[in-house]
Amino acid sequence: MLSMRHLSKAYYTDTIKTQALQPFDLSIEQGEFVAVIGPSGSGKTTFLNITGLLEDFCGGSYELDGVNVEKLNDKAKSKLRNEKVGFIFQSFNLIPELNLYDNVDMPLRYRKLSSKDRHERIMDALNKVGLASRKAHYPSQLSGGQQQRVAIARAIAGKPSFLLADEPTGNLDSKMADGIMELLKDINAQGTSIVMVTHDAQQAVKAQRIIEIRDGMLSERKNYDKAIA
Amino acid sequence: MFSYYLKLALISLRKTPFLSLLMIMTIAIGIGATMTTYTVSYLLQKDPIPTKSDRLFNVRLNSYGPDKPFNISQGKEVPPFILTYQDAINLQNAKQGVNQTPLGSFKIMTRTTEQSITEAKMTPIRSTYRDMFNMFEVPFKFGGAWDEIADQDGLQVAVISSELNDKLFGGENSVGKSLLLGNLQYRVVGVTDDWYPIPKFFDYRTRAFNKPRDVIVPFQTQINNELWTGSDVSYQCWKEPADDSFSAILASECVWVSYWVELNSAAERNNYMDFLVNYSMEQREYGRFLREPLHQLFNVKEQLIERKIIKDDGNVAVWLAFAFLAVCLLNCMAMMVAKFHGRAGEVGLRRAVGASKQDIITQFTVETCIIGLLGGILGLLLAQIGLSVTAQLYSHLYAEMLEMTAGIVIMTVLLAVVSAVTFGLLPTLHAAKVQPSSQLKSL
Ligand SMILES: Nc1ncnc2c1ncn2[C@@H]1O[C@H](COP(=O)(O)OP(=O)(O)O)[C@@H](O)[C@H]1O
Ligand SMILES: [Mg+2]
Repeated sequence: MLSMRHLSKAYYTDTIKTQALQPFDLSIEQGEFVAVIGPSGSGKTTFLNITGLLEDFCGGSYELDGVNVEKLNDKAKSKLRNEKVGFIFQSFNLIPELNLYDNVDMPLRYRKLSSKDRHERIMDALNKVGLASRKAHYPSQLSGGQQQRVAIARAIAGKPSFLLADEPTGNLDSKMADGIMELLKDINAQGTSIVMVTHDAQQAVKAQRIIEIRDGMLSERKNYDKAIA
Repeated sequence: MFSYYLKLALISLRKTPFLSLLMIMTIAIGIGATMTTYTVSYLLQKDPIPTKSDRLFNVRLNSYGPDKPFNISQGKEVPPFILTYQDAINLQNAKQGVNQTPLGSFKIMTRTTEQSITEAKMTPIRSTYRDMFNMFEVPFKFGGAWDEIADQDGLQVAVISSELNDKLFGGENSVGKSLLLGNLQYRVVGVTDDWYPIPKFFDYRTRAFNKPRDVIVPFQTQINNELWTGSDVSYQCWKEPADDSFSAILASECVWVSYWVELNSAAERNNYMDFLVNYSMEQREYGRFLREPLHQLFNVKEQLIERKIIKDDGNVAVWLAFAFLAVCLLNCMAMMVAKFHGRAGEVGLRRAVGASKQDIITQFTVETCIIGLLGGILGLLLAQIGLSVTAQLYSHLYAEMLEMTAGIVIMTVLLAVVSAVTFGLLPTLHAAKVQPSSQLKSL
């Protein structure tokens, strides 16, 4: 489904080299819910961006749904990202000038879909997050939790195999955060793999797998209790 | 997809209305100034009679006396650009061209028979043979040219402009009505229809951008009635006339008649030149044409350049105008960089949801297209204002003359769009290059 071999990543700024990720191996199967934990600056976002093809890696190989992404050009990579991956960000990243409907429409616009198809998918996604009735509203008219729901609708509208979430509840109070977690679990239950970066140990233990990153070193946590501690 | 990008472009323009307006205005001002200058230059320098400009010739005979040449230019002897009356008539009678005519002029108080003498207006008159109408492709609204008898006998007939017809006859078909030139009665035989040759290649340099004269009469009627206005003709003599009489002027060696001939083709120019040389040799029998037969034929373009009505070299003003446009576009480019920079977050997001660089470039190019289009339309308006101001500023230009052609209108809008897209390309490519992951933490 997703398989990484000896993948590594370094940033070069002027003369300084930052080894953001040490070489690692990782496979994620269809339908898994993976939590990524680790201290700030350890490389979690970098890992997620590489997984979602937003950033290039330096060494190793990466197969996404059987496609070796290393040799793809920008167009093919964008297409793969569009079809396979849905991103959810800590700061929602909705476009304020577009209403909910048009925000959810965005990934679908980069596919050859009929307007009827698009409409069905948008309404389906908005229904799943419970905001179909507010499709004509603008992001600023919603609460933070609702805005993140719209972002989730946007991520799932294209029916991707993976949802990549970077601290999706980081900007929300605990009640709203619980709602978002419920929603993600529902989506996962329907077969979509989820990789979620989180600070919240409570959330991490709800995942099937926990990956910890420290100073760019990836390791798998088998013992859930330790993660809480 | 295009309609989607169009929608995004309009949303983007609305998001920063002031910056958008500034960009559009910058393009509009550049386009307006450039196209005003270009249009004036284009209209004033264009071929006034494209169908036959290479086979219409101004005839110049070296009729000056043996003592000194008419003129010397760059070490070479130059014949006069106008003819004596007798030579003009001789060429006219020889009929060596398809069409040919002398052109004379005078001024006289003119009114209709219904108007009182106090309503008469001093009017410049053109005198010519009927060939001129055909030769210069004069369009007619009513009636037409006079007949050959009128040419031969100098009948009192007239062709008037549609403007004068509007003024004197309320725009009705005035053929058959009468006009008083001084106290001579002339019958209207034709009314021309919007005839504005630009430049007026057959007239003096100082009048090249005036409207054609409102009244045209047979050349011989000017002669018969001894209609002469010294201030209205270029009149030069190497030997003074025998006395002050009109007949003495006609018989003299003084030059004052300009002469035009239309040939079948540009290739017949040499034949006509041979004819002129033969003619001048014959005239030696009468003690005339004692100088070298340095006769000349100038086609329309050559005439315009020689008379310094148009310039031969590239037009500096137009180059300056285009340089100004480039400055405006560079300014606009700086604003685009600023505007697109503010959209890095959106670009990052769109990249994250699957837009390729190409998709981003297309989206931003549609936006620069819209800016260019709006700038072009506004620029077109400014250019129209510029042209009417130019027409008022320079008394020798008139409004009808400075009308944009459909071609120039299309060119104006197209130029705006193309230059906006071209100068928007750098900011666009810059925006598309943004590293998507670096933008997604803040939007
Ligand atoms: N674009 C970049 N250029 C240079 N260094 C970077 C860049 N992005 C991240 N880093 C560095 O890589 C390391 C990992 O960053 P990041 O993946 O954002 O950590 P996390 O998400 O775990 O907080 C940090 O030391 C960070 O400073
Ligand atoms: Mg991070």
